[in-house]
Amino acid sequence: MPEGVIVGGWSYVIAAYSITAIVLVAYAWSIHRRGRDERGKRGRHE
Amino acid sequence: MNVRRSLAIAGLLLLVVGTYMGLFVAPPERHMGEVQRIMYVHVPSAWNAMLLYTFAFGFAIASLWSGKPEWDDRLVGAVEVAVVLNALLLVQGSIWGRATWGVWWDWDVRLTTSLVMLLLFAGVLTLRRMASAERRAQWSAVATIVAFVDVPLVYYCVRWWRSLHQIQSSPETVDPAMVIPLRLNAIGILLLGVAWLMARAAIEKARRRRDEAPLPSRVIVKETAHA
Repeated sequence: MPEGVIVGGWSYVIAAYSITAIVLVAYAWSIHRRGRDERGKRGRHE
Repeated sequence: MNVRRSLAIAGLLLLVVGTYMGLFVAPPERHMGEVQRIMYVHVPSAWNAMLLYTFAFGFAIASLWSGKPEWDDRLVGAVEVAVVLNALLLVQGSIWGRATWGVWWDWDVRLTTSLVMLLLFAGVLTLRRMASAERRAQWSAVATIVAFVDVPLVYYCVRWWRSLHQIQSSPETVDPAMVIPLRLNAIGILLLGVAWLMARAAIEKARRRRDEAPLPSRVIVKETAHA
């Protein structure tokens, strides 16, 4: 097992968590928007 | 409150608590230091992507077996959410790799099979767009079953072949202070993923019903007048 420890690294952690949050929020918004559009189309169709 | 919304809220709460613990409560790892905190989002993304692909595999078999379109609605929901998590795990892994291995990417067996998994299932979603309405469910189910061959390969490749990527840890070998945020985030993403799967399946069902429904009389009248 190699000795030593990676010093710092918070910038990588912040980048990974930020990207995760952005992708999850964007996907949740995309699902919400598509659901709303579909309900709108169904309303017009009927 | 409906089931979907309850799952999403519970998932979000768990994810917020798990993320807080992962960032501020769990201790840094002996060798990787703070960088190891990426594990609390990377591993839950990977677990849930593979779990949702497994759901999709089950839905594909049910779709072929029963011919009921509801299974195809669920299949597209599971594959789409899993593809999002799969893309996310590759990006998180790349950032973690840069910090620990010194490179953003390596054609290592775990990384490569994970990328192939993403491409195969993205291919399932693309195929759905190209297929006719009559064949869509059948093609999607067959393509999902074929693509699923890669999923166990992703999981076991680190045990079968030499890999830069570490093999799976177990709760016995990990500090309990690290296990708790990992599990909270894993369950949180699972609940959110199931809520999204249900929402996406509902959208697909609505689209299918709209496509199957006869045209409303006003549209027919308009088209006749133009002709």
